[in-house]
Amino acid sequence: MTEKRDIAAKMAGNQKQASISEFFEKNKHFLGFDSLHRSLITAVKEAVDNALDACEEARILPDIRIEIRKADPRRDIIELEVEDNGPGIPRDSIAKVFGQLLFGSRFHAIRQSRGQQGIGITGVVMYSQLTTGKPTHVRSKIASETTAVEMELGLDTKSNKAIKSKEQRVPWILDDGTEKVSGLNVRCRMKAKFQRGKQSVWQYLRMTSIVNPHASITFVDPEGETTHWPRVTERLPRKVSAIKPHPHGIELGQLNRLAKATKAANLSIFLKTDFSGVPGRAVKEMCEVSGLIDSKGQPLKSRPGRLDPEQIRALAETFQGIRGYLRPYRLDHRGSRIYVADARRPGSPSAPIADAKHGDLMEALTDATIDDLLEIVTSRTDMHWEESLTELLGTVKAAHGDGPWNKQAADAISKHLRKTWDPRIVFEAVKLLKPPIDCLSPIEELLIKKGLSKTIDSRFVTTLTRAPTVSTGNPFQIEVGLIFGEGMPSDSAVEVLRFANRVPLMYQQGGCMLTKAIESVDWRQYGLDQPGGNGVPKGPAAILVHLASTNVQFTSEAKEAVADNEEVREEARKAMLELGRGLRKHLEKKKKLAKTQEKFELITDILPAIAEKSAAILGRDVPPLAGSITKIMNAVIAQEATTWDKEHKRTNVEISLRNYTAKARSYTLLAAWPQRQGATMINNEQGGRSEMTGVWAWKLETLKPGESATITFGLEGLEKGDWTETDVFYRGAGDVIGASKMDDALLAELRRQEEVLSGDPEDEDGGALEEASDGAPEEPSATTPPPDEDPVEPAAPSGPKQTLFDYTEGDA
Amino acid sequence: MSDRTHSPEETKAALHDVVVEMYDRIVKGEPPTMTLPVRTKNNITFNTRLGVYKYGKSTSVRDATSLRSAKQLLRALHVVEFIEEMIDAGKSSTLREMYYISEGWGHGKFGSQNESNNLAEDLEVVTKCLREDFKLRPEEDGARIIGNITLQERNRRGEWMRINARDDVGDSGYGVPYNVESEKLELIEHDVDFIMAIETGGMFDRLIENGFDEDHRCALVHLKGQPARSTRRIMKRMSEEWDLPVVVFADCDPWSYRIHASIAYGAIKTAHISEYLATPTATYLGITADDIVAYDLPSDDLSKKDIEALNAELTDPRFQDQWWQDQINMMLKLGKKAEQQSLAKYGLDFVTDTYLPEKLAELGLA
Repeated sequence: MTEKRDIAAKMAGNQKQASISEFFEKNKHFLGFDSLHRSLITAVKEAVDNALDACEEARILPDIRIEIRKADPRRDIIELEVEDNGPGIPRDSIAKVFGQLLFGSRFHAIRQSRGQQGIGITGVVMYSQLTTGKPTHVRSKIASETTAVEMELGLDTKSNKAIKSKEQRVPWILDDGTEKVSGLNVRCRMKAKFQRGKQSVWQYLRMTSIVNPHASITFVDPEGETTHWPRVTERLPRKVSAIKPHPHGIELGQLNRLAKATKAANLSIFLKTDFSGVPGRAVKEMCEVSGLIDSKGQPLKSRPGRLDPEQIRALAETFQGIRGYLRPYRLDHRGSRIYVADARRPGSPSAPIADAKHGDLMEALTDATIDDLLEIVTSRTDMHWEESLTELLGTVKAAHGDGPWNKQAADAISKHLRKTWDPRIVFEAVKLLKPPIDCLSPIEELLIKKGLSKTIDSRFVTTLTRAPTVSTGNPFQIEVGLIFGEGMPSDSAVEVLRFANRVPLMYQQGGCMLTKAIESVDWRQYGLDQPGGNGVPKGPAAILVHLASTNVQFTSEAKEAVADNEEVREEARKAMLELGRGLRKHLEKKKKLAKTQEKFELITDILPAIAEKSAAILGRDVPPLAGSITKIMNAVIAQEATTWDKEHKRTNVEISLRNYTAKARSYTLLAAWPQRQGATMINNEQGGRSEMTGVWAWKLETLKPGESATITFGLEGLEKGDWTETDVFYRGAGDVIGASKMDDALLAELRRQEEVLSGDPEDEDGGALEEASDGAPEEPSATTPPPDEDPVEPAAPSGPKQTLFDYTEGDA
Repeated sequence: MSDRTHSPEETKAALHDVVVEMYDRIVKGEPPTMTLPVRTKNNITFNTRLGVYKYGKSTSVRDATSLRSAKQLLRALHVVEFIEEMIDAGKSSTLREMYYISEGWGHGKFGSQNESNNLAEDLEVVTKCLREDFKLRPEEDGARIIGNITLQERNRRGEWMRINARDDVGDSGYGVPYNVESEKLELIEHDVDFIMAIETGGMFDRLIENGFDEDHRCALVHLKGQPARSTRRIMKRMSEEWDLPVVVFADCDPWSYRIHASIAYGAIKTAHISEYLATPTATYLGITADDIVAYDLPSDDLSKKDIEALNAELTDPRFQDQWWQDQINMMLKLGKKAEQQSLAKYGLDFVTDTYLPEKLAELGLA
């Protein structure tokens, strides 16, 4: 945000001496127009970001079409046309939006927004004009008007104002003959180059589509080749609310500006109303520790703008936790702290005496007396407390007398002070509330999964949305995804897809904190190649990382690499570790499955062939195989098949369990199912019961050696690809290949995941969890209630469609 | 090897034993197995009576608990059946043909030619029969011989042809057939003092061009790298039947040492028939590690693989002799290897005029 203002200020200042075009020319590297190739990407980016933001604001599911044509190939002149179905722009605002630098509300509010990058569509208008002399053609229609307005826009670079021309009203008829409800079409010509590859318009749109699964994006390249990224969810991103800045994230200069600009009549109101996370109690405390109080101990009544630089500095230090309270305490007999009531006073954290240099302290103590001791100690630290000092004096007096002390005694006293004197005082910054986190709009795990799956055709996808958290007053949230499998090159580095507030970052991968978070993980233990255990791993995979924050800090004005921040990096790293665990589990499962498949091939194909061939050669009867099969398999094997039934639009799950051991076995089989995703379980003829939300359990009849049992059920209310693999669990003795043993730890883990997935803080754990913990997991009774009588049967028609879809409500 | 071959009935019975082992295990309700000697350097021991290295007592059991081993067993059964069919039909096939025939064996199909070769050897080892008994022929390239020796070979029409390997052959010499047993080949007479086995074709041709075989009254055998069974067998027969010394002239590298070991002591892969293939009296003439220094020969650095091979040879029972240990250690110390052709540093005739006469003199053959 501050950078925006700085640019604005710079521009305003510069305007006097230089034209805007000169400014543009000078700063084009961070405006994104430094090369012909990049200029095109930037132009597309500005237009598409605008379209997405406008649609989001108006709660419209975006349909965006981008077309690039070669207007004059010999001179690298390209025509770009971007059309959306957004709300359109009212006639009177068009010129402002397209013709004035830094127009728009987003520069003043603190919230997660795409528009933290670039200088907006005006930059595109300007670039077009500077390189081709051509105005930008705009057609806009708002829903309340019957016709669209068309105009051409140029820029008067001296006055920083738009020049309108050829304005007219036109009906906007679509190809299918219907009238367009609302939308915007922007067409401009610029000097630019179209390229393919890792840094290209195509890649930018592909990445945009991944993190905007609610958008339908169509791209036509200069060769006429069309790529369509379909919409995979009808759910719009949550409407984010703007928040006020949190004191922890505010620097001196910024505070100075805020104090000058505020409308608040006095300091208390300023603190209370212009910041988030400052409760009434803290207002007074902040004033107190900053020394901004009157003789009665009340906050100064002065206007914030009138505070002098020293006072602002003190307040800034309080904001940053450099000033606070020193608070005495006693230790009770168990060694716990008991704070002395009302005995705190303002101060700042100082080095405890233990950090004082022994030599210095000894020198001060030599030839000193007991009367000097108090002063010597208090001069070296704020961390003292009268009571414990008195105690200290007594100890010193008893051991070394009143003084003056010789070097030997001074040495002993110094050591004693440094090692054992307990000032029994702590420093406390003024306690603030965390900033609200509803200003963030994560994409959510499931949607990232869908987004990744639609653009990359592969087998295994795992995604994770970490809980939002705060770093220096700025709420942020990390989301990650990993896609793995055939169809991606296995001998090169994995594709890294970086995003900040849903905006793809395509340049400076190496210098970006998000990349560093990936590199900080030893991926070898998770099944990816990584020479030396550092760097971007290799393998058939892509890793996505999204940082949503009200204040993304970039390494430079180019805004392509996120600056390092330990808390954010650690969050990202933790998320990566979890992805890694998911991948390892998948690979292990795959390996186990392959091994099981091999064994099946062995007993179903090879062993019978051996028996037949050997019998034929020897001219004997084919021997029975049961004994050998049991010896070869020596396991209970679970097999799961999750298939899509096109006809009934239904996912079918079949789980079979076969006992290949020499003993009778008895099991309860459990299976995960997408209850939270709104699925309904049907055709579950074996009954069973709900174990917890998203896990169903069946008690099986005892399986004699060689016997098998099969469970089948269908899932309705899902789309193809929503549920492709069913996790199978079991309770019972021994190992089951193809299923995980259900124990308390696993159950707890599943519940935790369930909570994360539910993603609805108001409905912490619903009823299902309690139900599950009530039910004895291994009921000895053979009578399991039929599913339609089960109180937690989630398929009941009254059951609400689950929470992930909630946040569009009220906008519908 | 006629004295070693088995009658069709003996061969079939031996092969049936392999099948019975599998069958009986299934009947007992166990995974089928195939038991065979371990075929590594750790399981070859010197047989003092035969003077060659033979497999020891270690056996390994291949059982059908993994898909790979089970497939091996199934393949073995197909091969057994195939051999029986050939015996009954009086046909034979090459190993390569068998590999292609296995295309029709369903799950018993071979993955590579190497697999089929190895399995044929496995069966030889287990049954103590030879592949000749199995009616299987190698496609391996037999050696070439030039020198004043006379042999008699039965041609395709069943007639004996008398061939002098100096006068009746072209520049490429007498080509050794894959079967060199007495029913196919007889050694008639010779007028040479020793046999020299040469690793590379280049050196073989050099010696012939320089007339070395006539000047030094010897027969030259081109080994073509690791010598085929028939090459080793014919050298053994010449050495025994004509009582001729055999000297080996090879490069100076770890692989040449192994070539010599397979000629003189028996190869690890064919240790079950060492006594028919190995020539215990064969002597390593050169190039030795000493020669690199003594003749100041152009040399190359040992590769990582060379060093690994040399270290493996240090613990190979066939190289436990002090002379070999010294040569191997010396090569390791030098860190160098040299080719036979490096002798050309001193001119094309140096090898025939100086080097070989000097080396042969050390052995008392010059």
